[in-house]
Amino acid sequence: MSRKFLETESPAWVAEGLISEEQRQKLLARYPPEAQALGLLPLLGSVLVGLSALSVVAANWQGLPAVLRLALLLGSLLGAYGAGAYFRRRGNVDLSHGLIGLGLIVFGASIILVSQLYQLVGYDVSGLLAWVVAGVALSYVYGSRLLVLLTVVIGAAVQTYCVEVLGSFSYATAVLVAAGLGYYWWRRPEVVSSTVLATGLLWQAGLLVIVLHAKITWFFVPAMAIYAAGDWQQSRNGARALQGPPLVAAYLFMFGLATFGETDTYANVLRPPLLPYLLSLGAVFAISVAGKRARGRFDTLLDWLLLLPGFYLPGGLPLAVATLVVLYAHAGSVLARAHRQQDSDQLTLGAVLFVVATAVAYFKLTWAFLDKSLFFLLGGVLLLGLSWYLRRRNAQTLAAAPAPTAPAAGEAPDSTVAPETPPRHD
Amino acid sequence: MTDLLTWASDPARRRPLLRLLVAAQVLYVLGVAGAGYATTALGQHIVLATTPVDPRDLLYGDFVRLRYIISEAPLSQWHDAAPPKRRQGVFVLLATGPDSLSTTVGIYPKAPAAAPGQAVLRAWVTDVFRHSLALRFNLERYYVPEGSGLRLEKAGRRHPLRVHVSIAPWGQARIARVVDVGAVAGRK
Repeated sequence: MSRKFLETESPAWVAEGLISEEQRQKLLARYPPEAQALGLLPLLGSVLVGLSALSVVAANWQGLPAVLRLALLLGSLLGAYGAGAYFRRRGNVDLSHGLIGLGLIVFGASIILVSQLYQLVGYDVSGLLAWVVAGVALSYVYGSRLLVLLTVVIGAAVQTYCVEVLGSFSYATAVLVAAGLGYYWWRRPEVVSSTVLATGLLWQAGLLVIVLHAKITWFFVPAMAIYAAGDWQQSRNGARALQGPPLVAAYLFMFGLATFGETDTYANVLRPPLLPYLLSLGAVFAISVAGKRARGRFDTLLDWLLLLPGFYLPGGLPLAVATLVVLYAHAGSVLARAHRQQDSDQLTLGAVLFVVATAVAYFKLTWAFLDKSLFFLLGGVLLLGLSWYLRRRNAQTLAAAPAPTAPAAGEAPDSTVAPETPPRHD
Repeated sequence: MTDLLTWASDPARRRPLLRLLVAAQVLYVLGVAGAGYATTALGQHIVLATTPVDPRDLLYGDFVRLRYIISEAPLSQWHDAAPPKRRQGVFVLLATGPDSLSTTVGIYPKAPAAAPGQAVLRAWVTDVFRHSLALRFNLERYYVPEGSGLRLEKAGRRHPLRVHVSIAPWGQARIARVVDVGAVAGRK
């Protein structure tokens, strides 16, 4: 509770007899005003001093002798790790993890700057691979979310460099991130790190598709493999966090297909050979279904609707209708699941997906035939009606929830006194 | 048997493990520096000529952009059944001519055996044209000490520079120095 809130609200509580004046004083004493601004000053000061030192070094970098440059890099590396270890022993965990992360960044910068110092040409990514190895190892030793996040970003950056500059895909980097941090995720499925890990791996999968000059739809085989790994995860939250990014990618693809998929010009880009593609995706699907079965999560099976390979259909009306049906079915499945689990966040998500599908359908099917003003009028009315309907469903679902989760608004079915709201007949 | 994560994150093991990791990182950075010295000390030395570059393109902050005569090669020098692809890594066989400059003998997808007086430099295909292909050696950037970049830029605009490259036995290459031949000749 914020002190300010307490200060402004508590006199009214005393006036209404909720608490006495002594209790008010006790409450105020419990939340002393924090000297946050004062605590920030030394931190800001040290940041400024650090920045000035950095700019002095950066400005004279090329003029410094090689040995001094090497010493400066190694000095900051040791300093950052040493300070990190020191604060960890003192119990200041956040600061310690921040400093260890800084050490990891300095290590990568040292590799790059020392290669540059000796004008060395990198022919493969092995120089930077050590950076990823260090990141994974430090993540294990410190079990820190920040270090996991940093390592995922470093892995993605190294892979991007490898693809852009060296023209090859570093399978070692991909395997290191997927296996090293994948195992970490398997043991500690935290929500944020799971999402970050999935995003980083999707990025690398995208780069692989680019390097292999493959049809972009192949992207969904590794993407859904990440999804399938989530199905085997015991923690449901960690699983859903990992599955979020692949699902978003699949949804965006289906959305794009529904919106722009009319012409047949994309056929060359999207259609891989039918049999190998369907077999690989089918294999991933089987792994995913087995996982859902083992963990009792068949309610999420309809996520796979988004992966229906509609792009094999001829363009034009058949494809437009098929993709719209899929978008509606998917939104419906999310809504149905949310209703069953009485999850208000999922309800909102389902409603948004439903509205988006409707907007696409409306845009696709009526734009050509309608006068523009009528288009906007009808569209607006449709969305308003839809939002009203969904809000109604939403409220009903939450009201029907068991007592602890129900809002105390007198809407429970068996409530005897319902002063303002007339009884509903559903 | 405990799993790897529990083993590694045990607070009792944190200090020795961190020491080990930091020591490995310091050694690694020193190793990169050592590879730099070793490439010059043990490597094969070749001299490459640059072509004058668009001056607007030459100076980028603290490095000079170089373009070599061997950066472009006729397709007839390509030694493989399959045509070269963009981004492909290739090996360029170089021979030293009478003027001590190295020129391309052939371009191979796999490392060829070099005869005496020949050297192998790795490169990437950047473009494939109808009769020629463009190559990139990752030697296109020369990091220069503060302020001296401008002199090289002006020199490179007028006449080609000579770039001394060391190639280590393990294939790594580095620019040892860049010499402005025209300036030396002019002063004489």
